[in-house]
Amino acid sequence: MRRAIAFVALAALAWAAWDTGADPARLLRGLPWLLDFIRRMLPPDLRVLPAALAGAVTTVEIALLGTAVAAVLALPLGFVSARNVAAPPIFHTARVALNFFRSVDTLVYALVFVAAVGLGPFPGVLAVIAYTTTSLAKLYSEAIEGIEPGPVDAVTATGATRLQVLRFGVLPQVLPLFLSYMLYRLETNIRAATVLGFVGAGGVGFYLQTYLRMIDYPAASTVLLVTVLMVMAVDFVSSRLRRRLV
Amino acid sequence: MIEVTGLRVVLPPATVALDGVDLSVRAGEFVVILGSSGAGKTTLLRALNRLVEPTHGTVRINGRAVTGARPAELRAVRRQVGMIFQQFNLVRRLSVLDNVLTGRLGYVAPLASVAGRFPEADRRLARECLSQVGLAHLAERRADTLSGGEQQRVAIARALAQSPAVVLADEPTASLDPALTDSIMGALRRINVDRGLTLVVSQHQLATAIEYATRIVGFRAGRVVFDGRPVDVTPSAVAQIYAP
Repeated sequence: MRRAIAFVALAALAWAAWDTGADPARLLRGLPWLLDFIRRMLPPDLRVLPAALAGAVTTVEIALLGTAVAAVLALPLGFVSARNVAAPPIFHTARVALNFFRSVDTLVYALVFVAAVGLGPFPGVLAVIAYTTTSLAKLYSEAIEGIEPGPVDAVTATGATRLQVLRFGVLPQVLPLFLSYMLYRLETNIRAATVLGFVGAGGVGFYLQTYLRMIDYPAASTVLLVTVLMVMAVDFVSSRLRRRLV
Repeated sequence: MIEVTGLRVVLPPATVALDGVDLSVRAGEFVVILGSSGAGKTTLLRALNRLVEPTHGTVRINGRAVTGARPAELRAVRRQVGMIFQQFNLVRRLSVLDNVLTGRLGYVAPLASVAGRFPEADRRLARECLSQVGLAHLAERRADTLSGGEQQRVAIARALAQSPAVVLADEPTASLDPALTDSIMGALRRINVDRGLTLVVSQHQLATAIEYATRIVGFRAGRVVFDGRPVDVTPSAVAQIYAP
C-alpha cells in the first residue's frame, strides 16, 4: 500500500515536471541572462526614490485599511461559522460560503474590483477586504471553537443573555487570538498588496511594473529595494506586537 | 425551595445519567449529594438550572418552573441560582472583580453591560461579596494569577453576587489540595447559616459530607438510594451508595 502511494506520488511529480517543461539545463543556459539582468539593475537609480516611497506608503495604506475593515466584518461571520455557537443550519451555510469565497485570491478580487470601480488604490482596498474578511472569519471561528466551555457555562448560569454570554464568556477568551490573527493577516496583506499594482489596483507594484516595462532596470531595483524594506519593517513591528499578545 | 419530580436525563448518544429522580429540598437546607463518579451528581446539578436539558420530568425552584420555561423565564430563574464548579470556571483573562460582576448580569441592563458599564451599586455589591470571601485585596488582579483555592473563593463571590436563593456546588473541593477542603466547605456553611441560603453540594468524600451536610442524598446509577440525616448514614447505607 505504502509503495503504491509512493509510486503514484512520484509518477505525478514526474508528469508535472515533463508537463511544465522543467529542465535544469535550461535554467543553467539562462543563468548568464539572469546575472546580466541583475548587473543591469545596479546601481539603483535613486532619483525615483520619492515615487517608490509614495507607492510603498499607498501599499501600506491599502493593507492597513483593508485589514482593519475586514477584521471588523469578519467578527459576525466568525461567530455564525463556529460550531459551538451557531445553530447547525446557519453554521453549515456559513462554512460553505466562507470556503467558496476564500478559494479566490486577493489578486483575482483585484481584477474584479478594477473592472467594477476603475483603476487606483481603492479597488486594491476592496480586494484586500474581500479576501481577508473570509480568511479571518475562518480563523476567528476556529478560535471560538477552541474555547474552554467551563467559563461559558458559568456565565450562562448567572442568568445572562446570549449576547452577554458572548461578551463575558467567549470574547475574553478569543480576543487576544483575534488580534494576533489580524496582525498576521496584516503581514501577509502587505506582501499581497505589493503585486496589486500589477493589475492596476495601486501601490508600489504599479511602479515596479511600469519601470520593468520601460526597461528602466535601475529604477525598478530602487522600487524593489523599498518594497523589501517596507515588508521587513511591517513584519518586525507586527511580530513584536503579536508576541506581547500571547 | 427545589422540587424535582420524575427527572430523567439521557445524554447523547444513549447514556442514562438520571433515571427517575424525585427530590424535594426545603429552604435553608444544606444538602450534600453523595455518590461515586458517574452516579449522576453533576448531571443532577446541571439539570436543576438546565445547563443540561432534562429528557423527562419537572424541576421547580422557588415556586418557578425551570423545565418548560421560555428563555426569558429561564434567565429569571437562573439569576436566583448561584453555581460553583469543580474547575472554578472563572474567565481567566478578566479581573477578579469583573468575574464577580458577571454574577450581576441577570440584573443589569444587558446592552450597557455588554459595553462594560455596570451601575455603581452593582460594583459595590461585587466588592462586598469579594470581602466576604476575604479577597477584597485581589480585586484588580487577573483571575488566572490566583491560586486554585483563591479562584474557588472568587467563584463563591460570583455566586453570592447573584443575590441567590439557592447555591449549587458541583464537587467544589475535588480539584483542590485536601487542606483547602475546610476553607471552601466552611465558606459554603457560612453562606448557609448566615444568609439562610439553600445549598445543594455534590461530594464524593463521605467524611466531608457527614461533617457539613444537614441532609445527605445518596446517588447510585442515576437513582436516589439514600436520603436522610448525616447521623443516619450507616455502614449499610454507605454500601448501598458505593456498591459497584
